[in-house]
Amino acid sequence: MQVTADTCAIFHTATVVANQALCREHYRLTLRVESFAPSLPGQFVHLCPITPPPGAYPSEPVGDGPVGNDRLSNASRPLLRRAFSIAGLRNAPSGVHLDVMYRVVGSATRWMESLAEGDSLSCMGPLGNSFPIQERRPLAWLVAGGVGLPPMLWLADALHRSGKNVVAFCGARSAELLALTLDPNQPPDHSARRATPSALEFARHQVPVVISTDDGSLGFSGHVGLALAAYVEANRTATDDVVLYTCGPERMMDSVAAFCRARKIECHVCMERAMACGTGMCQSCVVPVRDEADSAGWRYRLCCTDGPIFEAQRVIWKPIGAI
Amino acid sequence: MLIPVIQRTGTKPSIDLSVDLAGIRLANPVMTASGTSGYGPEHGKLMDLSRLGAFVTKAISPEPRKGNPPERVVETAAGMLNAIGLANIGLEQFIQEKAPYLEKLGIPIIVNVVGRDADDFIKVCARLESIECIAAFELNVSCPNVSGGLDFGADPKRLHGLVSAVRKRVQRAKLIVKLSPNVTDIAVTAAAAVEAGADALSVINTLCGMVINVETWKPMLANRTGGVSGPAIRPVALYMVHRVYTKVARDAHVPIIGMGGISNWRDAVEFLLAGATAVAVGTALFVDPRTPIQICEGLTEYLTRRGLSSVRDLIGQLR
Repeated sequence: MQVTADTCAIFHTATVVANQALCREHYRLTLRVESFAPSLPGQFVHLCPITPPPGAYPSEPVGDGPVGNDRLSNASRPLLRRAFSIAGLRNAPSGVHLDVMYRVVGSATRWMESLAEGDSLSCMGPLGNSFPIQERRPLAWLVAGGVGLPPMLWLADALHRSGKNVVAFCGARSAELLALTLDPNQPPDHSARRATPSALEFARHQVPVVISTDDGSLGFSGHVGLALAAYVEANRTATDDVVLYTCGPERMMDSVAAFCRARKIECHVCMERAMACGTGMCQSCVVPVRDEADSAGWRYRLCCTDGPIFEAQRVIWKPIGAI
Repeated sequence: MLIPVIQRTGTKPSIDLSVDLAGIRLANPVMTASGTSGYGPEHGKLMDLSRLGAFVTKAISPEPRKGNPPERVVETAAGMLNAIGLANIGLEQFIQEKAPYLEKLGIPIIVNVVGRDADDFIKVCARLESIECIAAFELNVSCPNVSGGLDFGADPKRLHGLVSAVRKRVQRAKLIVKLSPNVTDIAVTAAAAVEAGADALSVINTLCGMVINVETWKPMLANRTGGVSGPAIRPVALYMVHRVYTKVARDAHVPIIGMGGISNWRDAVEFLLAGATAVAVGTALFVDPRTPIQICEGLTEYLTRRGLSSVRDLIGQLR
């Protein structure tokens, strides 16, 4: 049995092109890889330091002392990879540029924060499935809460290219945690009744935004689900024409899914789970989904290989006890 | 016209990586650790599995198990904590859907078996023994994440009873017992397994552990507790291989499969020197699924540099 070129193509040594602060705790890391398999919005990459780090071990033994067995250089590095939705992808003269966005919350993201232009890291990808783009529905609503923003940026690009009419709803706890570049001449609408070209990252794809903050420091005051409801109330769009895509905290996606269920809006969610392998081997990242073929009416699917995109109405949001 | 000179000095002496594991010939001593490679196809997309010494499956139980709710995994210092809960498709679906794939690999297949009682273990082993590529069963008597899992492994009398009962019903395939480190002295359970007829010992399963979220005051894993694996447990695992080898396995001529945080050829050499005949790679596969191939390449280079011709020259040679 041979490993095909296809499969080998997911292992990359990536070079850091830029690592830019976006707002408090949030960064955009741009990586260059020599080539990248055909990929679509919703897919993710799995990142970790290169192991072992260059020069960690001497190539020849160094006496009988502890030097040849020194492993302390590994101590402060994250062990497992971390999964990040691809936030953007561009062909560049010397390969492919990939954007990921991250918030510094722990040891691995602190390692990422320390990366500088020219540094190398290990990158597996593209992994996972992608957002379906529906021919027959001309409108697309993107609903992003907090760190759920990155996949929506690339999705906005793809939807715009396929001729869809797109509106993005972006929520954050506070203005200083919103990882978007605001146009000072286009303030967001406080009522959320109207989408405005306020965020440059979306405006460059002709996508207007509705911005909400939990503390009311920018745009609509309240969580992004309420902003969505206010917009829908004011605009009375034919919901048959809409596909809604959402990514963010699970409670927020649950409420958006319920909103869509009540209005019969097609809804796709991008799930997040702690993952070890990202390739289906460890079975860690399970998501409970309805399955009529199963005797219990549901089964676990893997976020990494069956997802991360799931049909919202199939996901079981309430926690399930051990079976 | 110049005639190119052939560089004779570049010829490498042939290095023999093969080992004999209780009568099973392994082309090299590197295998997968149970539960870290799925059923094969998942890992086979990322690495040529025919280059493994052997493939070890996820645990198989008589009936399908959904496993524990998420979160099932969290990273710890130089390791990880998991509580998958032996999620598996069950015996019949394994035979229908996964066995044909494993048969095509052309390497020995070791099926990890789990159950609530001896009858469960016997049911799985008896049903699978007719599949020729299955060279051995690894009895999972030491999973810390399900009730009943650890009970067998921590009590030498119950362990002896289980292994003897399965031994009587398994003719062709070899029996490997995967020992738990969550005991006072692993040599005691190792001796019980060997006396009951184990052909080989896997040393070690994960160590019981937990992580608590200090903001929510709840455990990080839905199962509350889990098993620790990865480089963090390697010195513990190495010690336990050494202990089992010197107290039980060497004199009984029962081979050991060493596992616990092995990530590169240096780690593998340590386990071989401590007395392991083969090594299994687990957590490291999650970081790089190709680790077994890299370990084999590293072992070949190491043996060449040390002027040795066979990996068997390392086994139990600790000074």
